[in-house]
Amino acid sequence: MTTQAALRTFVKETGGWVAAQLEACTRCGMCAEACHFYQATGNPEYAPVWKIELLRRAYEQRFTVGGKLRLAIGLDKPITDADLARWSTVVYEACTLCNKCAIVCPMGIQIGPLIHEVRSAMSEAGVVPAELMAAVNKQMAEGSPLGMTDDVWDQRLEWVADEWEEEIPRDVQGADTLVVFSSIEVMKFPGNVAAIAKIMNAAGEKWTVSSQAREVVNFGFYEGNEHRTVEILKRVFDGAKALGVKRIVVTECGHAYDALRWTAANLMDVPLGIEVTHIAGVLGDFVRSGRIKLKAGAFDNDGAITFHDACKIQRRGGHIEEPREILKILAPNAFREMSPNREQAICCGGGGGVIAIKSADPQRYAVFQMKLDQIRKVGASTVTMTCSNCRLQFTDSVAHFGLDLKVTGLAQMVADALEV
Amino acid sequence: MNWTSFLAFTRGPLFYAALLIFIAGMVYRLARVVALGWERDRVKSRGSKLAGALRSYLKGILIWPFIPWVKNTFSRNPLIYVAGGLFHLGLFVVIFLGAAHMLVWKSLLGFGWPTLPLPIVDWLAVVCIAAMIVLFINRLVHPVLKLISGPAEWLNLLFVFLPMISGYILTHHLFFRYEMAYSLHMLAVDWLLIWIPLSRISHFMFYFFARAIHGAQFGKRAVAP
Repeated sequence: MTTQAALRTFVKETGGWVAAQLEACTRCGMCAEACHFYQATGNPEYAPVWKIELLRRAYEQRFTVGGKLRLAIGLDKPITDADLARWSTVVYEACTLCNKCAIVCPMGIQIGPLIHEVRSAMSEAGVVPAELMAAVNKQMAEGSPLGMTDDVWDQRLEWVADEWEEEIPRDVQGADTLVVFSSIEVMKFPGNVAAIAKIMNAAGEKWTVSSQAREVVNFGFYEGNEHRTVEILKRVFDGAKALGVKRIVVTECGHAYDALRWTAANLMDVPLGIEVTHIAGVLGDFVRSGRIKLKAGAFDNDGAITFHDACKIQRRGGHIEEPREILKILAPNAFREMSPNREQAICCGGGGGVIAIKSADPQRYAVFQMKLDQIRKVGASTVTMTCSNCRLQFTDSVAHFGLDLKVTGLAQMVADALEV
Repeated sequence: MNWTSFLAFTRGPLFYAALLIFIAGMVYRLARVVALGWERDRVKSRGSKLAGALRSYLKGILIWPFIPWVKNTFSRNPLIYVAGGLFHLGLFVVIFLGAAHMLVWKSLLGFGWPTLPLPIVDWLAVVCIAAMIVLFINRLVHPVLKLISGPAEWLNLLFVFLPMISGYILTHHLFFRYEMAYSLHMLAVDWLLIWIPLSRISHFMFYFFARAIHGAQFGKRAVAP
């Protein structure tokens, strides 16, 4: 039963786009070299090519002469419920959908998005890890996976505005910019909310937050469920439409940025005339155009600082240079680049919903150790980033390993160095 | 049938039949993929998809083979990277720049081109064969490749190996009578032509799709592909 649902999804998702890439795969296994989960654990089942194995088999058995023939004479077996269960663990618990494998693949196959297709099939078949599914259901029912209900949102924003003495315009009709936060920021890194408010106010931006579009996190997207992804995206777009804003600024949340900026238009009718951008790009624009001034060298005296590239904001979002331009102002001497960096950077290990699944902890921490090695090599005592999901993985892992490493966000640093 | 007439058969009717099967098979594979349809990408780009795709091709054709140290893959696994590269280089040179093969192309297409001296082609053929052995051993021992290799992967290696080794034997007049060695080489080539559309060796065609998709996806995000 469940397998049929998965197979239907595979067939539905298989356009020329998917087929051409599956046909291009030579099964050379190079992608394993890119995957931090494989590198950190040595488990061959974590190789990206293996993660799309079911998609390939389903494609060949349904669409190719050779595949049909192999199935008929028993060289290949039909996909079973047991297969789904086995691959569910692999695609949800050992993949952040970071798409670094695409860079290593000699053919350039977009393995990350193909793994997302596999997740879609898992979701239709109902074989999603229980903890991830619980978070999805919670977001569908309450509006937020972290329990940020209407009341919590109100109280929390009031508290942030009081505590940091920063004005946070709420539900302002006719504002230019709608800033959408993730509940991770509101609940766990409230300083980030205050920091972004401070920057927006300093730049003289006509901005607002929306109680309708208060949660930018999209657990339906993690799950790979198209229906729920769209449902959650709609809440944000509807909130933006209701206030008549010209643009939506996604704050430090990578997956949400991927969903809103790079995926939404292909899944649904997005409102016309509303630009979607990321806070990293906005910070860059503010600094370049002189709308905010930063104290040069403000972070030059607290030891070396390094920047962690987030998969969805740098490699899959394109905001690679802005954070570096800013860091070269804030810490011209203390800023160090890890290697590899930019679009080739190693992932934090917690993205793609992995951090929400307890049984993924061993490989999540193993990947973090690779990141940690990189940080140690440049002797950094502070690491900054533009994704609060990465930041959650960093703060959790720093606590887990009992490390002496300061974890911060780029917006936070910018806000602290504002020249008024 | 003696070897002389068998040779005439393998380089005549059988070769042309195999060639037809190869072309028809590849056209079918291409048509089938294209017929699955392409949904229009409605996402607004930040950068240029076209520039990304062009850059992706250039990177695939120029940077990877000739400046491999920009790749982390190269530093992690240089032997396999070099073996894979030399295998493809050897194959390309032997098929297109060997004098004997160019003449086959000339008879098929009606025009020829300059070729490389035999010793160079010969050495690259040796390098290619050696690279295939390295890749074969790697497939035997690498944990990921062990997991993903089925009969098709082993047969692909074998069916490319046979024309290469028989071609080498033929050019060096080793072991067999000339007509016999030539017939065996043609037989291996004919079979390879038939096998390609049935196998993943056809990746040389889909390579252009995948790299264009890759370049466009990175280009639209304003990221270097």
